[in-house]
Amino acid sequence: MAKMKIKAKEKKGVVKVKAMFTSLMADKEEAEKKKIKVDYIRQIVAKINGKVVYEVTTSGFMAENPLIKFKTKGGKKGDKIEFTTTDNNGKTATSKKKIK
Amino acid sequence: MFKLDRKSILIGASAFASTALLFTGCLSSSTGVDEKASAPSNAITAPSTLGEYAIKNKTAIDGGVTYVRANGVETAYAYNQQSTKGVSFGRRATPNEIKAWDLDALPDGTGLPEGEGTVEEGDELYEAQCASCHGEFGAGGKGYPQLTGGNQSKDENGVVITLKNQRVYGKTDAPKRTIGTYWPKATTLFTYIRDAMPYAHPKSLTDNETYAITAYLLAQNGIKIDGEEMDEEYALNKEKLVKVVLPNNNGFYPNIDGPNGPENVRAFFADRAKNIGAGVRCMKDCKDPGGQDGKTEAGVVKIKYEMSDVVPPYSTVRDLPPEVEDKTVSKAEKMYNQSCKLCHATPQMGAPAVGDIDAWKDVLAKGFDKVVINAITGMGGMPPKGGNEDLTNTDVKLIVEFMVDSSKEKH
Repeated sequence: MAKMKIKAKEKKGVVKVKAMFTSLMADKEEAEKKKIKVDYIRQIVAKINGKVVYEVTTSGFMAENPLIKFKTKGGKKGDKIEFTTTDNNGKTATSKKKIK
Repeated sequence: MFKLDRKSILIGASAFASTALLFTGCLSSSTGVDEKASAPSNAITAPSTLGEYAIKNKTAIDGGVTYVRANGVETAYAYNQQSTKGVSFGRRATPNEIKAWDLDALPDGTGLPEGEGTVEEGDELYEAQCASCHGEFGAGGKGYPQLTGGNQSKDENGVVITLKNQRVYGKTDAPKRTIGTYWPKATTLFTYIRDAMPYAHPKSLTDNETYAITAYLLAQNGIKIDGEEMDEEYALNKEKLVKVVLPNNNGFYPNIDGPNGPENVRAFFADRAKNIGAGVRCMKDCKDPGGQDGKTEAGVVKIKYEMSDVVPPYSTVRDLPPEVEDKTVSKAEKMYNQSCKLCHATPQMGAPAVGDIDAWKDVLAKGFDKVVINAITGMGGMPPKGGNEDLTNTDVKLIVEFMVDSSKEKH
């Protein structure tokens, strides 16, 4: 279910990346209180040209619709950045975006 | 475009529709009283004249009274009939002035300027001018409105589910009112951004830039125009903006657009029981309104066990409790606490701290009298008398004595 919004810009060899993921980020405790299903992103991986440039393990500690930002030197204009998220059920979602 | 007169009526109607919604939400039940009966008798029989309070066959939009204005038009406000002789109303607005003021755009596109902007341009503008308050991707933050997010899906009645959220306890969600979930018309998005944003310097965006930002926000909300998804190159213009149907388009009621707007509102509120579920508004003998059918007993709650014997008994005396003088604290120390302690309690403020023997040895090298004079006239960062001009010179001397005494080596 995880939709994402990605923005990547290169300037002087540094790629600034911002990405937002649609997820309730409800861990077990929160889901019990809200009476909804447990639903959170477990892992976020970003790759440029097949090379991992960013990887995090996430959980309910992050807010709903988490936003991440990072800088990397691993890409240039025209490359594609690919985000893969894994949710608590092991479901993955992928989205690509060209670096500007 | 409407004529000015019509417009002001519409504004009044919408304001009333919203307040009426609020009020009727608080009413609980009905008696089915004829609303005419509650009006003064003269209002029914007397022929309505200009500015007079009158309930004719029509009720006011919110069920209250109406005032005749002119040419059969009624308003919810009393018409001021004072003589205007000798009052200067200034001059008529010039066509150009009206043009500069009359900027709004209707949902059908009337009044929208020509122009075009792409999502990509909007992205750049948003990042430079909007993101600092509204957050990246419109996610909101720092107390400024969230523009994207929220669940746009609807229940079986066509109500956006997110809007039904109620913050009942700690972790439950409040309704999310974003463009995608709450705004009914996309044209108002354009006019609002143009007229009121960016917050720090409004009206600084050109029409093209405003179209671009509007396009970006619609794209971030996942809005489709004519079934077409908005990608980066999507260019928004007047024709396309009019076609936008936002998810909560039908979430507002009744329809107040057009010259029939007030009548629509009237018809809507005439059937309160059905449309709002609040029953008919009680205007007379409302002490025992009964249940929804008017027959069952009213649920008036009274205090069953009133507390009458309270120890100590209830009192209306509002004096402060008498001040008990602390004999262990000298007068000088009291004054020190009030005027000097802030700086002299610790060495952090740069002043010799009370109790710091070495610091006071240095101070006293000048001689006690000189120290007192310094304290009275001020010295370095210290204002005269420590900033408290109410102190007399004798008081200051007493305080200095106290401070010196407190900073001596104890044997």
